Parts: sequence; C-alpha cells; structure tokens
Amino acid sequence: MGADYGGYGSDDTTRLFGVRLDRFDRLRETLTGDYKATFGLTTVILFVLAAIFAPELAPFDPMAQEYAIMQAPSLSSAHPFGTDSFGRDLLSRMMYGARISLGVSLVAVTIGAVVGIGLGLVAGYFGGVVDDALMRFVDVLWAFPWLLIAIMLVAVFGQGVWNVIAAIAFAYIDDFARLARGEVLSIREEEFVLAAKNIGLSDTRIMIEEVLPNAVAPLIVQFTVLVARAMLAESTLSFLGIGVKPTTPTWGALLGQGRSLIGQAWWISIIPGIAIVVTVLGINLFGDALRDAFDVRGEEGSP
Amino acid sequence: MGIQRYVAKRTLQALLVVYVVATTVFVAVRSIPGDPARLILGGDADADAIAAVRAELGLDQPMYVQYARWMGDLVRGDLGESIFTGEPVASRIIGAAEPTLSIGLVGISIAILIAIPAGIISATRRDQWEDYAATGVAFLGISMPSFWIGIVLLLTVGTAIPAIPSYGYTPISEGIVPWLANVILPATAVGLPYAGIITRMTRSSMLEVLGEDYMQTARAKGLPPRVILFKHGLQNALLPVVTVAGILFALLLGGIVAVEMVFGVQGFGRLLIRSIERQDFPIVQGSVIVISIIFVFMNLFVDLLYMSINPKIKYGGEA
Repeated sequence: MGADYGGYGSDDTTRLFGVRLDRFDRLRETLTGDYKATFGLTTVILFVLAAIFAPELAPFDPMAQEYAIMQAPSLSSAHPFGTDSFGRDLLSRMMYGARISLGVSLVAVTIGAVVGIGLGLVAGYFGGVVDDALMRFVDVLWAFPWLLIAIMLVAVFGQGVWNVIAAIAFAYIDDFARLARGEVLSIREEEFVLAAKNIGLSDTRIMIEEVLPNAVAPLIVQFTVLVARAMLAESTLSFLGIGVKPTTPTWGALLGQGRSLIGQAWWISIIPGIAIVVTVLGINLFGDALRDAFDVRGEEGSP
Repeated sequence: MGIQRYVAKRTLQALLVVYVVATTVFVAVRSIPGDPARLILGGDADADAIAAVRAELGLDQPMYVQYARWMGDLVRGDLGESIFTGEPVASRIIGAAEPTLSIGLVGISIAILIAIPAGIISATRRDQWEDYAATGVAFLGISMPSFWIGIVLLLTVGTAIPAIPSYGYTPISEGIVPWLANVILPATAVGLPYAGIITRMTRSSMLEVLGEDYMQTARAKGLPPRVILFKHGLQNALLPVVTVAGILFALLLGGIVAVEMVFGVQGFGRLLIRSIERQDFPIVQGSVIVISIIFVFMNLFVDLLYMSINPKIKYGGEA
C-alpha cells in the first residue's frame, strides 16, 4: 500500500467514489475464471430479472383465485409449480414475491451499511472518547438480536414492509460498524493519511476520500454475506407471520401458508423454499468468490 | 490491566448494556398504542373498572414512578404477569424453556459433530474432491432457512420412519430415548445451517494454522502426523471457532422460533409468537429482556474463555 492510493494527485485513472477502477481489473479477471462467482452471479441476475419483470413474465395474476383448481399439484399443465389453497398460481406468486424478498433485503442491508460504516469510520478515525461512546452504542444495538427488534417493532407499529426493513437494518448496523472500525484503525496510521492531514485536508474529506476507499473490499464482502442472511431473516419473519403483511406473497409467507397443508399439498411449502435456497446460495457463493478475489482474510460465513 | 479489573470492567459494561436494553423496552412498550387496562377487560368495560385496573397496574402513576418501579421489579427478577392468564411472566418463560433449550443444545451438538471433522477434512484435503464436497454441502447448509429444512425433514424422514415423532415435544423426564427421538428432527433443522458456518470456519482457521512455523517445527521433529494434526493443529485452529459460539446464539434464536412452529413444539418461540398475536406485552417485554441478558453474558463468557485459552490476547485492548 503506497501513497498512490490517495484520492488526489494528477493521475488520470477513472474513479468511482474515490476508488480507482483499474484496481478492479484484477478482480474481474479472477471472478470470470471462478465457477462459484459465475454460478452465483448468474443465479442472482436471473432471480433479479424475474423479480423486475414479474408483471411481464408471470403467466397469471398472482392474486387471481380459481376455485376449480385449488391446490393443483405442480407440473399440472397450466401451472408449472401448482396452485395454492385459493387456486392462485404459485409461479406467478413467487415471481411477485421475489420483488419483496430481494428488495427488502437489499434496502435493509444498504441502510445498515450506510449507518454502520458511518459509525465505524468516525469511531475508528477519532478514537478515544468518541470511539468509546459510539462502540458502547453499537454494543447495545448488538444486544438486540434481529428477531427481537422485529418483534418490538411489530408490537409497537404493527406489520409492514418498513418495519421488516428497519429490524434487519438495525440488526446489521453493528456488523458494519465493527468491521469498518477495525479497518480504519489499521489504515489511519498509514503514511498517505498522515500526509493528507499534514496538507490540511478536513477530517471528513480524509475519512471519505482517503480511509474509506482503502477499507472498501472487506465491506463489499460483508455486504454480500449479509444480503444473503437478510433474505433468510425476511423469510423467517414472513413465515412466522410477523413480516410484511400476510396477504403479500413473499417467499417466506408462501411457505408459511403451505405449512398447514403439508399433508395434502407439499409443493406449496417446498418450491418457494427452493427459490430461497438457490438465491441465497447464489449470493453466498458470489460473496465467497469476492472474498477470494479481494483476498480478504476473515471469518467464513460469520459477521 | 490486571485480570480481575478487566473482568470487572467487562461485567459492568455488560450490565450497562442490559440496563439500556431494559430502558428501551420500557419506552417501547409505553409507546404501544392502546390501553393495557382496556386490553385486559375487553372493549366494553366501564370507566370505573378500567380506572381500577389502571391503579392496580400502577399506570395512573407518573412515568418516573412507573420506571423506578419497573426497574426495581426487574432487579428482583419480577417480570410482571401475563395480561391473559395472570401467571408470572418469569414462570411462563421458565416453563417454555426446556423444549427450546433441548432443541438448541442438541442442534449445536449435531452441528459440531458434523462440522469439526468436515472442516478438518476440508482443510487437510484442500482442493481435492473431499474439500469440494464439504464446501458445497456447507454452503448449501448456510443458505437454507431452518424452518424449511424442518419441513423437508418432516416430509421425508418424518413420514419414512414412524418411530420418529414429527410433532410436539416429550420432556426429558420421560426418558432420554423418547426425548431424543422427538427432538432430533427440529434439532437437525436448527443445527444444519450452523454446521455449515462452523465447517467453513474450521477449514479456514485450520488452513491458517497448517501454514504456521510451529507446524513446520513439529514436522521437522518427526512427530507422527496424527499428533501434529490434533495436538498442534486442531488445538490452535479451534480458538477462533469458539468465538463464534456467542454469535451463533443470535442466529440460533430465529431458527429455533420458526422450527418450533413447524414441529408444533410448545416452547419459548411459540410463547413469544402467541404473545405478540394476543398482544400479551408483559410476556413479550420479559422475553426480550431475558434473551438480551443471555445474549450479553454469553458473549462476555465467550470473550473471557477465549482470553483464558489464548494467552496472547491482552486484556483491555480491543484493536
């Protein structure tokens, strides 16, 4: 690591948020040769496309009830995944459900990342009392497991998409804060940071333009891993009936409705589960490939 | 900093965290719309009756009095009474704890039994088919929601082997075998995702240890490979795995609650979900506090354990 990582100077490399994009060339090369990355990314892109184009692609209206074909088994001609207990097409419901499941996870982890990285950056950069105070706050956040935050939010505000997002975002703030702080502690004594201080750059600029770009790799890996975990958390909340409104067809909610029908209609609880597993597996594998590519040392699969 | 002072400092910090959690819960429960007295008596109760119940619950007192009383009760272990049954919250929680703890502990045991050998094999046979197989299965495990594993187990093992009951819970007092037969499916459902995490952790930590100088030294001394692997390698490799135990608890919790619903187990998770549905807030708030206390002190315990088995870690320095 040298002074050329600094966010100023006369080099003419393309930059995105102060990160030199040529640093990602090696990354791209590594990823294209990696079966985990290829599988992971392909899967995720397919599911994202299915979610975005659900209105165009879905064979049926996800809310349309057909009483003649209640609990039609999968692979029945018109309904590849079968129908639920109201005769609604499971494939169409799953495509619409993908929007909630993917959207909620992405938004929640993004919020958690922005707040957490902000806290970690400030705590690590300034150290001392600021560090102590912020990290005690993070400790308190950490003491509420995500399920409890969700339960309290539902108890106080009732059910809704934003409560699920808030619960998951809250729960991941501490993960990002601790990681960012740790990275900052090792970066802040680097020569280029000291140099930036000596030429009189403001603390905010140093944090955002000098420190953050050099901490970005482990944070991206963390982001990917937590999106996968957020999808599992969202599906659990929906399954328990304390997630997004019960009428919304999220993958977890579909599973939850199938639970009481396991004996008669196994596909209602199995097929949405496969969608969850394949998507989360794709994200996890992509995250692991990123970890290898960035050469991030760290605990596997743990925050 | 001496060890006693460090332990005392960390314990005080943990207590502070619990205090803030309890205060947050107090504020959160008071912001729930609706009057608990009306909830207890039902919609058409008359004003006098409601006033009487409010007085009984202390809701007519100023907020700081309520807060002081709540904290005082909490310190004495009094979590209040259920709105619906009038039973003490503490005894409801203790009553529901056995199935949940059984599923959790058997689940963790299953996870460790699978994961540590799988992780060792994965590391020692790096980039061979054993490693790929273990890695693939581990990733699959990490990516499955526990409750869905539960449903799959219910449909496959549960229907194939009638000797394994797929519903409810048998207390351990009725014998180890019936208890285990009843707990094994939910415990596996909860355990598999954690087996995935621990396998990956053991693998990476083992790989790191295998490259250390002291491993070279042990090999150069001509020690038998088994001794090198288990005495020198595993002992050091398991250190970071221990720290995950604290984190595991948070992950386990969500899994257990959902798995209890799948298998119809009358445990803590079901109590919690039922209480939310019925708006039995004393039980909800009591549960949140109890879980947070377990969570905070479990983490403290793991930290201290980690410190005592790894003399290199200095007290006080986090970074």
